[in-house]
Amino acid sequence: MSEKAYEVAHIDDLDRFPVDDEGLLWRPVRRRLGITTFGTNAYTAERGDERVVEEHYERDGAEELYFVAGGRATFTLGDEEIDAPAGTFIYAEPGTKRAAIASEPKTTIVAFGARPGVPHEISGWEEIFVAFGHLRNGNEEEGRRAIARAVAERPDAWQGHFNAACFESLTGNRAATFDHLRRAIELDPKAAEFAQKDSDFDWLRDDPEFPA
Amino acid sequence: MSGTARLSDLALQIGSARWAMVRTHFGIQAFGVNAWVADEAGGQLIGEHDELGQAAGHHEELYFVSEGHATFTVDGDEIDAPAGTFVFVRDPAAKRSAVARQDATAVVVVGGKPGEAFTPSPWERNAPALADFGAGDYDKAAEAFEQLLAETPDDAGVLYNLACAESLSGKRAEALGHLKRSLELDPDFRATAEKDSDFDAIRDEPEFVSAVAGQPDASGSSA
Repeated sequence: MSEKAYEVAHIDDLDRFPVDDEGLLWRPVRRRLGITTFGTNAYTAERGDERVVEEHYERDGAEELYFVAGGRATFTLGDEEIDAPAGTFIYAEPGTKRAAIASEPKTTIVAFGARPGVPHEISGWEEIFVAFGHLRNGNEEEGRRAIARAVAERPDAWQGHFNAACFESLTGNRAATFDHLRRAIELDPKAAEFAQKDSDFDWLRDDPEFPA
Repeated sequence: MSGTARLSDLALQIGSARWAMVRTHFGIQAFGVNAWVADEAGGQLIGEHDELGQAAGHHEELYFVSEGHATFTVDGDEIDAPAGTFVFVRDPAAKRSAVARQDATAVVVVGGKPGEAFTPSPWERNAPALADFGAGDYDKAAEAFEQLLAETPDDAGVLYNLACAESLSGKRAEALGHLKRSLELDPDFRATAEKDSDFDAIRDEPEFVSAVAGQPDASGSSA
């Protein structure tokens, strides 16, 4: 990243990484512009009936602010359902259930997030999303580089190794899958429970050496 | 507390633009966030500033044009910014400003100080008083600015806003005194004051003319 005083990008020019097989696209903003003090990403639902914010809780303490930049979405915030046309802000405290489904084609949400009281740390999941995004876009080589960066940045985090195992399994590499999965379970035994349920490992589950 | 709000419902008239105090509305503690709306093309959306001043937060700032079309100027470079443009100003020393090129142009601004936990910028202390100001209750706004001034007597921004509220509520002498003191403390406000319609009631006063020109006041009066 250059140390130019400013950076400019149009939302249409951001990378487009598929997050799932249903049309949800992750458009990294923080990563593209080099922002260091808060997380920022855009999500676009092309069809207009797919999930545009995955259901989650931010139990690590991050505050999140969503802004409907285009289209329209139905948000779930706690037990409430909210119709959110373009121009709506949705603020979710840590621990509150949040999710959104697009109700118009090309709905775009911009999300901002950070934890109060501490300097911002870049989320480890960004590089993992990049890896699987490249893989879904058919670029295994770039994806492999990203997953290697994710593991190298946090070598003692079970999540990096677990996702690396998923990546290796999806690309047909049995030995590398088992290596990463063993390391993930070593770092946190709950990785074994996740592995038992994760369909990424279906083709290896009956292998006698499958670690979980 | 978790919640929702429309940008258009939050925006209060402050000078030529409308300001939506998003962070204070939701009570966000982890980053700064505001939005500005210019109802007419040609309106100032973001006043020229850097992030180094006494009232600034030394933040890196992300601007997102959510509606309409703006022209940003950063470090002397002009940036065409239609809806959907992100302008990220990394360098707190860079002068930045933005003007609307279309009616109903809106910009969302998010900021924080690198390497540190977020704390609100000092200028945000003005927010409750500006809410009264935006609602047209200039007497109440002046009272709130007076309270802020008691805490920080040399805050040029508070003095300036107090002068605006006093000018609009017909307290001409008080307005002139506070404006004069504000411009002495921060001469950057002179250009703003010259164009600010809040001072229309006192614009022809000799004290206003000399204060904006940066000349000593012959009468010798002060706030």
